[in-house]
Amino acid sequence: MSNTYYGEFGGQYVAETLMNTLNELEKAFEEVIKDPKFWDEYNYYLKEYVGRETPLYLAERLSEKYGTKIYLKREDLNHTGAHKINNVIGQILLAKRMGKTKVIAETGAGQHGVATATGAALFGMGCKVYMGSEDIERQHLNVMRMEMLGAEVVSVQSGSNTLKDATNEAIRTWAKEAEDTFYVIGSAVGPHPYPKMVKEFQRCISVEAKRQFMEKEGRLPEVVMACVGGGSNSIGMFAEFIDEPGVELIGVEAAGMGIESGKHASAMALGKPGVLHGMRSYLLQDEDGNVQLAHSISAGLDYPGVGPEHAYLRDSGRAQYVSITDDEAMAALSELCKLEGIIPAIESAHALAYAFKKAKTMTKDQAIVLCLSGRGDKDAHTIESYFSGNGYLN
Amino acid sequence: MNRIEARLQQVQAKGEKAFVTYITAGLPDMEGCAKLIKAQEEAGLDVLELGIPFSDPVADGPTIQAASYKSIQQGTNLKKVFDMVEKLRGEKCELPIVFMMYFNTVLYYGLEAFAARCAEAGVDGVIIPDLPYEEQEQLQSILDKTENAPILLQLITPVSRQRIPMLVEKARGFVYCISSMGVTGQSADFHKDVVTYLQDVKKVSKVPVMLGFGIRTAQDVSSLKDTIDGCIVGSHLIKMMEESNYDLEKAKDYIRTFKKELNA
Repeated sequence: MSNTYYGEFGGQYVAETLMNTLNELEKAFEEVIKDPKFWDEYNYYLKEYVGRETPLYLAERLSEKYGTKIYLKREDLNHTGAHKINNVIGQILLAKRMGKTKVIAETGAGQHGVATATGAALFGMGCKVYMGSEDIERQHLNVMRMEMLGAEVVSVQSGSNTLKDATNEAIRTWAKEAEDTFYVIGSAVGPHPYPKMVKEFQRCISVEAKRQFMEKEGRLPEVVMACVGGGSNSIGMFAEFIDEPGVELIGVEAAGMGIESGKHASAMALGKPGVLHGMRSYLLQDEDGNVQLAHSISAGLDYPGVGPEHAYLRDSGRAQYVSITDDEAMAALSELCKLEGIIPAIESAHALAYAFKKAKTMTKDQAIVLCLSGRGDKDAHTIESYFSGNGYLN
Repeated sequence: MNRIEARLQQVQAKGEKAFVTYITAGLPDMEGCAKLIKAQEEAGLDVLELGIPFSDPVADGPTIQAASYKSIQQGTNLKKVFDMVEKLRGEKCELPIVFMMYFNTVLYYGLEAFAARCAEAGVDGVIIPDLPYEEQEQLQSILDKTENAPILLQLITPVSRQRIPMLVEKARGFVYCISSMGVTGQSADFHKDVVTYLQDVKKVSKVPVMLGFGIRTAQDVSSLKDTIDGCIVGSHLIKMMEESNYDLEKAKDYIRTFKKELNA
């Protein structure tokens, strides 16, 4: 197959209306990745504005408790509170080069929406963010943040009124307005070249982590892991380690209320290959081939599909994908708060929960590097509600 | 001969323009849908597009999204629609039928099984808006190996530009030209370059050129009549049917009037 695929996954499953747009985007992207000036500009903003590099922190008390070294790549310390901003800076700089004056984005929990609104403010571009009406209700804080940053938040009422539907609406708008509008996709999903683009703009996570680990330990880690919704922080965390066969790569999906309950977001565990949002990948579907709703306490993992490169890494055996339930993630979240003084995003807590399991099979000289993709401020409401026994907001 | 090709040749032989409608399969229910198809055949419709409902119809506007959602809630699926078409064919319905559907539905059913069942049930064409030319090879090669397989119809847009010759090169049946950017069911504000773009298509296309998206009456296309070979109405008809509680006489009147005015 062509360069738009990872094995049998990926491709460009979009309307004819968008094919020229995608071709132009691909051409522009391939140009900038070879242009040192572009990377200088990107790195300038990552350092001066986002606050990179982020620390690789040895979580001492956790390491002691679980009997192996647990290093946290602190993406939660980025401006806007998560890794999402890395990609947004890259895509908006590219949009500017292409002469676009407006950006649109989809968002679930609101993190990518906030990052896009931030980038749009920084570079003086118009910004519309599509968000499911249900997510608008439960992520009110982020809606306010986006509006403060000057973005227009468009409430999407169709289908399940969540991220999947917000993405559909963003794609519809894009097909209408592509001539002056750039669609900033937040996850490692969508039609080619988006998955590749998101990977390149999140690669900084593993470039830093690999060097930092080498400086501290003088070798490579045994295990590298991250949570997987669509798969942006994980593909960034994996990128520099994919060609290091000695490093075990683990992606952690959300098992929601348990895989067997049917209420989960584990596209890799139970999905079948399908087509959604411009890509062919693993997808949760019902018996008629309609897309099934995902469930997770974490809005950022609440997505029925997964990025195509992850599907390929799974099938080729290079990476392993596991699932963690809502309850396991919340227990891990609480533990990180109390043992290390870090309130993580619920998304990142999924990776932590699996790290605790994995650590039991490892020795104290070995090490896990885990991407702590975001901070938990946005989740304060959900966390409070969960621990007070009022159930999930999600 | 494929029903679409046969019918459009007849229409062109008479020097007329063709009229195509789109309805969502399974509405108001399976039986009512079959009646609506027969009524449209009776009224002289040339080709019917039958929308297979999908959970995530990214090429459709609010009207068809809502219709699609409602139909899924009522339990419509591809298998049932195949059965309905097969039954209609058994009842001497010879109206050319095109499935308008999203690729995931085809993929889930299985490409070989889909091609074979289309041939068996009597489906004449397929339009898949999220399967652009670059992704068609796999399905096309299976259709090529299947006897009486449906035609995979090509969509062309006002921004297809240099892609037009490639898109029409092997096109069969007709080419579906969309009038504006975006989704189905917007107003009849066609793209600013619609005339030149349609002329570009017409110049190179060996098959009839049909215009769709945002069309409600024959007046909407009156200025384009010299360029197109027919047109397609979807959202407007669906709205009309919903509002009239699926009044079949209303559908027939609409089709007769449209055809008459289109060929006036």
